[in-house]
Amino acid sequence: MIEFKAVSKTYPGSEKPVVNDLSFEVLDGEICVLVGPSGCGKTTSMRMINRLIEVTEGEILIDGDPNTAMSGTQLRRKIGYAIQQIGLFPHRTIADNIGTVPNLLGWDKSRIKTRVDELLDTVGLAPDDYRDRYPAELSGGQQQRVGVARALAADPPIMLMDEPFGAVDPITREGLQDEFLRIQQDIRKTIVFVTHDIDEAIKMGDKIAILKQGGVLAQYDTPANILAQPASEFVSSFVGGDRVLKRLSLTRVGEMDLEPANGDTDDLLRINEGLSVKDALSELIGSGYSRAVVEKDGDNRLLTFDAIEELMGGTSVEPSNGGGASA
Amino acid sequence: MSGQALLLLQDLTGGPEILDWEWLRENFWEDIVPAIQGHIFLSFISVAIALAIALPVGILSARFRKIYPPVTAVTGILYSIPSLALFSILISLPGVALGPTPVIVALVAYSLLILIRNTVAGLDSVPPETIDAARGMGLTNRQILFRVELPLALPIIVAGIRIATVTIIGIATIGAYINGGGLGKLIFDGINRQFPTMIIAGAVLATVLAILADLLLLGLERYLRPWARARRA
Repeated sequence: MIEFKAVSKTYPGSEKPVVNDLSFEVLDGEICVLVGPSGCGKTTSMRMINRLIEVTEGEILIDGDPNTAMSGTQLRRKIGYAIQQIGLFPHRTIADNIGTVPNLLGWDKSRIKTRVDELLDTVGLAPDDYRDRYPAELSGGQQQRVGVARALAADPPIMLMDEPFGAVDPITREGLQDEFLRIQQDIRKTIVFVTHDIDEAIKMGDKIAILKQGGVLAQYDTPANILAQPASEFVSSFVGGDRVLKRLSLTRVGEMDLEPANGDTDDLLRINEGLSVKDALSELIGSGYSRAVVEKDGDNRLLTFDAIEELMGGTSVEPSNGGGASA
Repeated sequence: MSGQALLLLQDLTGGPEILDWEWLRENFWEDIVPAIQGHIFLSFISVAIALAIALPVGILSARFRKIYPPVTAVTGILYSIPSLALFSILISLPGVALGPTPVIVALVAYSLLILIRNTVAGLDSVPPETIDAARGMGLTNRQILFRVELPLALPIIVAGIRIATVTIIGIATIGAYINGGGLGKLIFDGINRQFPTMIIAGAVLATVLAILADLLLLGLERYLRPWARARRA
């Protein structure tokens, strides 16, 4: 567990703190996303965890102990680190790059080699094809995979990731995000993930910490709660006018509690249960029907606007504007 | 060149023999080989000493930016003094005798600027994110310098060594003026004796030496960065 306790950071010669009285906890095995506009101190906050930046006031506890209990280099070898610009060593092979921290920790060669191949497999790069190449021979997406593999190398319980999928095109990014979430299901790391992209935050985060200018925590909660109940005007405008639709994107149609469809359903629109509610709603509106059939566990279920409204808490699909989406 | 062609050359110029092959053969082991050895010795020692000074000074200049301007100012002045003048100044100092020592001192002084500048440029060329990643993974400052920064700066540092070496091999010929030895001795003796063969032998060999050293270091430069050869097709 990582605990921020009233953490502030003020640079010498500056009056205004870049991080201001920050307190929150990241539970074991969770992804906590720090998100906010530029200048909100999200990267600074992350870098204070492994002491690339030292705190001015307050303290950060890792599993109950202050992170100043050991030297900065010792601490950093126990925490995975992946950044947007990746920072692979251009003069080292992919295998050497991934083996950096195990090598610093004094693992023997065969153990490092086994681990490197295992990690290349995990991130979807064939070990025989990639282990002896140099970073310049890889595409941007492949390099980011290697960056993540390198951060995972010594199996650290905690990972810090600063826009780790930021340097690639949107399609590759989505692939990398999905893949990483799949990997995280197995490895259950405690992750602090920095991004400026609220959609990425909603997708990746178990919890989201929204920061505003001056490093003030605006809201810390699950994506669903932040979308349902933004704590302030700032949060509501930061998550965007389409926050209701974003909420719908958190749930899949198959996860909804739907009434069985009675009678003849042959003429109705059919929707795949793997689709997000947001996409299902889009299809429903586009089709001109007011209901559709979802096949779930072999049964036909009925998806209606009312069911979607119920999912949103029985209020309305668009609570703040009052307009009825079901009309 | 065959004897016949040489005869032809003499016929064409109508003057005295430009190259006395007989002399070259007879004095090869006695004069020419020691001159080559002496030249290589002077150049190699000078570059080695200069590098031993320039690397730490360059690393410090890259770290502590404030000292870099004065360092370049001093070494820049040294670089701009004409070589003959510098040799004369050095031997006029009390306690400095004629011989290779003042020559080496002067050659070191000439190479410092290039070597220090390329060391700093090399270290500056290391991508900041690579250093950030290294620090974030728990490398110490010393490990970052020796495992990341210097290996990545090495091609630019070696490029500086190439320029310095070629410059030094050229200037070293003038060192014979103060009894430094080397191929310059052939040239100066040739001038004194009005014997062109010695002048040409000294000049040609000094040039060949410079070209060979350049190619050798170019090869080293390539060898030192296998990662640059492996580019994505």
